[in-house]
Amino acid sequence: MSAKAVVVRNLTRRYGYRVALKDISLDFSENGIQGLFGANGAGKTTLMRIISTLLRPHSGTISVMGFDPQEEPEEVKKYLGLVGDKTLLYDELSGIENLRFYSKLYGLHRDFFETQVEELSQRFAIKTWLEEPVKNLSTGLKKRLDIVRSLIHNPMLLLLDEPFSGLDKDTTEDFWDYLNEHRNTRTTIVTTHNLALGANLCDEFVTLRKGVVINQGPISQFDQTL
Amino acid sequence: MTSGLGAALAIAKKDIIIQLRKKFEAFSMFLFALIAVLAYSFALVSQGSIPADVGSAMLWVIIFFMGMFGFAPIFLSESETGTLRGLATAPIPAWAVYVGKVIYGFVLMGIVEVFLVPIISILFGFSFLNDIPLTVAVLVVGTLDLSAVGSMASALVMPSEAKATVFPLVYFPTATSGLILLIEITKIIVLGPGVVPIMLLFEILLAHLIAMLTLSASVFHFALSP
Repeated sequence: MSAKAVVVRNLTRRYGYRVALKDISLDFSENGIQGLFGANGAGKTTLMRIISTLLRPHSGTISVMGFDPQEEPEEVKKYLGLVGDKTLLYDELSGIENLRFYSKLYGLHRDFFETQVEELSQRFAIKTWLEEPVKNLSTGLKKRLDIVRSLIHNPMLLLLDEPFSGLDKDTTEDFWDYLNEHRNTRTTIVTTHNLALGANLCDEFVTLRKGVVINQGPISQFDQTL
Repeated sequence: MTSGLGAALAIAKKDIIIQLRKKFEAFSMFLFALIAVLAYSFALVSQGSIPADVGSAMLWVIIFFMGMFGFAPIFLSESETGTLRGLATAPIPAWAVYVGKVIYGFVLMGIVEVFLVPIISILFGFSFLNDIPLTVAVLVVGTLDLSAVGSMASALVMPSEAKATVFPLVYFPTATSGLILLIEITKIIVLGPGVVPIMLLFEILLAHLIAMLTLSASVFHFALSP
């Protein structure tokens, strides 16, 4: 049996009276690309927020890379890389200033940081834009820079919440290739309502509907009609 | 992993750089201070100066209301642009985010005070020269105290829909106790010894600052991950 990156048991989360996640139990295996599928309002983003320590569940337990996000959030955060629909970049800073700021928060060694910037900026074709203030960049370039930001500390658990929205075809393919290359050394959890894309990319999947797990398993068992 | 203080300094530095490029809050604060000084000068100056006790109150009331422009956006802008998630998911203690913002608020207010205090002293003919070290100490501790309260107020109103309206409702009552102490101490510096020893008042002010900082820092993780 493969090790688990995320283990969720009987987890419930409400917003007021509305139940976003209802007594769900699921696992995400370590390494590989795991899909979290479902329509809008299924509870995907809520679960991603709980995994990334941004939200607390009302009941149930969760373990991320062996740690409890509520009890040991800083331990969990060391492993996390996060890409959402909105970038986490500061418009008034240049690309390299943004990356340098995050590298300080992650306590990266200068040599490691420079190697990572060199490698990732070349890989995602933003090297020539690094000195430019983020507010001057196009949406696609901002997204590329945000992907580099999320990878700068070489996270072992990458959480991608609708990562392909706003990305052009080339960037989507570049990112896809990158995720494929690191399939064996990194756990990536992707939420998407683009089921065709998800089915091609992922090794395993979980499908949520109205806050309930309706299906999970290897991608070969994935049924897009559910 | 970076230390909490290192992360706090990185956050403060980032905010100061952004402020130096935007200049919006600093300019609003300076403009407010200038107009307030002008208005007071028409209303209160007689025989070339204003009564010293009125001047002491005026100085701190201007600084207090200046905080409205400086402190309110401290977390609101991060919350609106989504960059707060970047801080909340970095492997740093929550208090580091708070302390970083307090340092930034202090520097921002300090920049305006460097111009404001000499202008008020010259225009209104009341002097802090009676005790320069104590004057500097009161300005530093007082500004830190207001920044500690203002930063926490800004964080607390983040979930509210009417953030700008709610901010004064949190900031005013919590900062008023410090404000009264600051006015009283400044009055003694300008007028000479009063009934209550000045050092006792200063120690109470210091205790107020320490209480605000430690209390806010210890519960700040609730503001970051509700």
